[in-house]
Amino acid sequence: MTTGALIFAFDNEQTNYVAMASWSARNIRRWLNIPTAVVTDIDPNDKRLRGFDQVISATASAGGTRWFEDYQATVTWHNAGRTDAYALSPWDQTLVLDADYVVASDQLKIVLNSDQEFLAHASAYDITGTNNFAGLNDYGEYKMPMSWATVMMFRKSTHARLIFDCMAMIRANWRHYKNLYQIASSTYRNDHALSIALNIVNGQTLKYTSIPWALASVTPEHTVTRTSKDCYRIDYQDQHKRPRWTMIKNQDFHAMGKSHLEKLIETS
Amino acid sequence: MKPVEEQGYLIVATNTESTDYVDCSRVLAKTIKYWHPNAKICLLTNEKLKPDHLFDHVREFPFAIDTANPYANDWQVFDATPFRETIKLEADMLITSPIDNWWNMLRHRDIVVSTGCRDWKDRRASSRHYRQVFDANNLPDVYNAIAYWRLSKTAQDFFVTVRNIFENWPQYRAMLKFPESEPSTDVVYAIAATIMGPETCTMPFASYPTIIHMKRHIIAAKRDPWVDELICEYRDYELRVNTIVQQGAFHYNVKNWRHER
Repeated sequence: MTTGALIFAFDNEQTNYVAMASWSARNIRRWLNIPTAVVTDIDPNDKRLRGFDQVISATASAGGTRWFEDYQATVTWHNAGRTDAYALSPWDQTLVLDADYVVASDQLKIVLNSDQEFLAHASAYDITGTNNFAGLNDYGEYKMPMSWATVMMFRKSTHARLIFDCMAMIRANWRHYKNLYQIASSTYRNDHALSIALNIVNGQTLKYTSIPWALASVTPEHTVTRTSKDCYRIDYQDQHKRPRWTMIKNQDFHAMGKSHLEKLIETS
Repeated sequence: MKPVEEQGYLIVATNTESTDYVDCSRVLAKTIKYWHPNAKICLLTNEKLKPDHLFDHVREFPFAIDTANPYANDWQVFDATPFRETIKLEADMLITSPIDNWWNMLRHRDIVVSTGCRDWKDRRASSRHYRQVFDANNLPDVYNAIAYWRLSKTAQDFFVTVRNIFENWPQYRAMLKFPESEPSTDVVYAIAATIMGPETCTMPFASYPTIIHMKRHIIAAKRDPWVDELICEYRDYELRVNTIVQQGAFHYNVKNWRHER
């Protein structure tokens, strides 16, 4: 059985996602020892693509625009192509990672070694503990439970194909699902589509298997710097606006603030 | 009363001016019979009715009834049931999936009153809006909508205690913080469970059976009644609320909703 990691990287006016994905590919190879492929729309001869085992050319598909706190700007969000992951993946087992997911340990081997056909995180938390993610771990007026598309593992199977087909169906009929679940934001999000799809494919019971730990996250208003290999420092302010910092070592995390991660990559 | 059947479901229905609980019971019985055609069902009522295809037994209250507070007759269920093992269900519910697994769970005790309730997303209800008297008095969080007992001394003692509380409510009321003027069955069961020892008649650690309680603050609905807000689909005895499949006992609360489905 072949296994690999797939990263979607479509640059926009603010973020160099391809450089981010290239840096992530090195971490993935080092910790998980699996090949990587990038799905991108840039010139295949671009030197930023040298670090990947495979380059899959695709057209950027915008899901809308989104305000990014760390850039203080609204940017185009090329997130809508994630539903094609099943069709694009060259492997039997695939780990789909956001370009801003930092691999700093081998903990995803647990996911790769599981017998499940599809896994994603069912909850996320703020590493600093300053933000309550209660509102991010559910969606819509009726607080439906959220699944996070940041890390997805799937095996080529009917079950996994149905989930991605369903996500595509939800994306194509986004207005209907937005109204059905009374989601306030009009911008399409993969997390919402995944959450709705998992519910549909699993018989509308809200019962399905997920990655057995929460997704560690660093929010955009907090600064991430690298102190040494696989060791990161998070600077933040506590509730009294006093500066605080915490160190994390050998802990994977989702860097929600792209600008800090970009700077970190440039200097590493 | 000597049991004439081994196990079955007992539904208590005392009609009021506003609600035809016998009709609610018929709808409930129909859903039980759909999932379990061989299930035995007894209707306990003060109406003159005969057994039919839904009710295998119809019993009248064996003792004089309190007409002022119909709920105060609940203690009579122990003497009225024709079953050696009984699951009592509140009338304004639907059964939306098989429930025969309940028996295996409930047989761990002589009597079990269900603890806690769920919302339509199958999450344990966290709202304490309707449970202030329970919290203020450290009473177990019981719901009499589902209660099990087998013919036993423990169950007999429990219902004797329930009767005592109903009949001496002013004295019990005086001991409670924020008491209700008229005793509700849930509060009376909770006091009885406390007197008996919650460990003898509740299983708070059990994930089932619990009711899906469609009260506004439990389901975080924006308005009353919830049926004006949430989308319901009912087909072939399966119920979905805002697309989510409902399982077990669905306590709809809005009494006329059973006609609108």
